[in-house]
Amino acid sequence: MTVKVITAKALHERMESGDPPFILDVRNPQDYDDWKIEGKYIKSINIPYFDFLDADEGVYQLLPKGTEIVVVCAKGGSAMMVAEMLDERGYQVSTLEQGMLAWSQFYTPVTIVERAGLKLIQFHRLAKGCLSYMVISQGKALVVDASRHVDEYLKAAKQENVEIAHVMDTHLHADHISGGFDLAEKTGATYYISSSEMEGAQRVFEPLEKHEIIRFGTVDVKIMAIPTPGHTPGSISLLINRQFLLSGDTLFVGGLGRPDLGGHAREWAQDLYETVFKTISPLPDHVWVLPSHFADIKEINEAGYVGAQLGEIRKNNEIMRTEDIKQFTECVTGTVGSTPPNYKEIVDINRGATDVSVERATELEIGPNRCAVHHG
Amino acid sequence: MKADVIVDAKGLSCPMPIVKARKAMEELEVGQIMELQSTDKGSVNDFQSWVKRTNHTLESMDEDNGVYRFYVKKGQES
Repeated sequence: MTVKVITAKALHERMESGDPPFILDVRNPQDYDDWKIEGKYIKSINIPYFDFLDADEGVYQLLPKGTEIVVVCAKGGSAMMVAEMLDERGYQVSTLEQGMLAWSQFYTPVTIVERAGLKLIQFHRLAKGCLSYMVISQGKALVVDASRHVDEYLKAAKQENVEIAHVMDTHLHADHISGGFDLAEKTGATYYISSSEMEGAQRVFEPLEKHEIIRFGTVDVKIMAIPTPGHTPGSISLLINRQFLLSGDTLFVGGLGRPDLGGHAREWAQDLYETVFKTISPLPDHVWVLPSHFADIKEINEAGYVGAQLGEIRKNNEIMRTEDIKQFTECVTGTVGSTPPNYKEIVDINRGATDVSVERATELEIGPNRCAVHHG
Repeated sequence: MKADVIVDAKGLSCPMPIVKARKAMEELEVGQIMELQSTDKGSVNDFQSWVKRTNHTLESMDEDNGVYRFYVKKGQES
C-alpha cells in the first residue's frame, strides 16, 4: 500500500460528504489548540508526530480502523512519516498535501442568492474564518474584502463571465492581508476604502466616503455605503438593494467587532455604540447581515453560508439590546481576548506602507483569526 | 556549553531534526548533553514540546543567523 496525498480541495469535499474522514493532526499541542481544521462533522485528534517515534501501542489504540484517517501537519513532511507508520499497521491513511499551509490558503465559494439582475457569492476562507464577497449584475462585478489570493476572484469572474469593475475594503484589515488593491490593479477596477483608514498611505484609492450610492449592472443594484465605525474609525457597511448588509467586521452573526486594535478601545467602543443604536437600529429585521468573518464554524447555516437576519441577531445577542452606554462599553472592551497574530505588521502592509514577499505574507497569516468577539 | 554529541540537522525540514535528535539521544548516557543545530523554524516549537514530553531537559537554546542551537540533557528512561 502507498499513502495517498490529498489536496485541501479534496479534503473539503470529503468533509462536506456524508462520510467525513477522521483527522489526525500531528503538530505540537500548542499549535493544535491555537488553530486546527474544523467542520461540522469533523472528528479530529492531536497526537504529535514525535510521540510516534517512541512506538507506544497505546497511541495506536486511539485511532479508528476502517475509517479513512487524514494525517495533517504544518507542511506535510511529518504527516507523511506518521502516515507511513500507520499504513504499515493496516490503517487506511492519506495525508493533506502541504498541510496547514495549504489549508490556510483554501477558499470555497458559496452562492447566497441568484435572481434576475443579482447574484451574490460568499467566499469562505475556512482556515482563517475570513469571508469575502462578489456581487454580480449584468456582466459587472463588485468584490468586497478580497483576501490576498486574488486568483480565487479572477477564476470566479471568468467562470461567471463578468468583469470586475469595483473592489472595496470595508475597513483596513488587521488579521489578514487584503487582496483588494492587488485585485483592482490586475483588473483595472476602482479600489475603494475610507480615507481615514489610509492615513499616510502610499496607495492610490478612491475615498469610499465620497460615494453614498454606487450603482452598477441593472439599476436594481443599489449599494449604499454606510459609515459604521467601531471596529475601526473608517469602517463601512454596504447595503445592497436594502436587503443584504455586508457588515465588514462591525456586526457579526454572533456579536460585534472588537474595538481595541487601534489602541483606543474605549473611544472606538463609543463609535460602536453609536453605530449599533443609531445607524443599524433603523434597519428592518428582515435585512440579511453578511459579515467578513465567522468566529465559529457553526455559524455556517443550513444553506451553507454565514449570515443571519438582523432580527435574529438582535434576538440572540444581548449586546445589541444593551442601551446603557457604560455597560455596553464595559462589555465590548472587556471581552476582546488575544489580538490577531502579527496584526501591526499586517495593518502596515494593507496600508501599502511595507511590502513583503509571498513567503513572509504566508507566514504572517498562519494562525487563527481573532477579529470577532463573542459577547455571551 | 560543551556537548557530548553534536547533531547537525541544518537544511533539514520537519520531521528530520527531531528524528535525528532522538536517535542521537539513544546513544547517550543519562546526564550527557546533546547539541542540535537546525535551520527549520517550524522545529523550534516542536523541539521544545518534544523535550517536555520526554524525560530530557532543555538546558539552553540560542539562535545565530538563522541557525538554532538546542542543548539537551539526557534524562532517566521512563
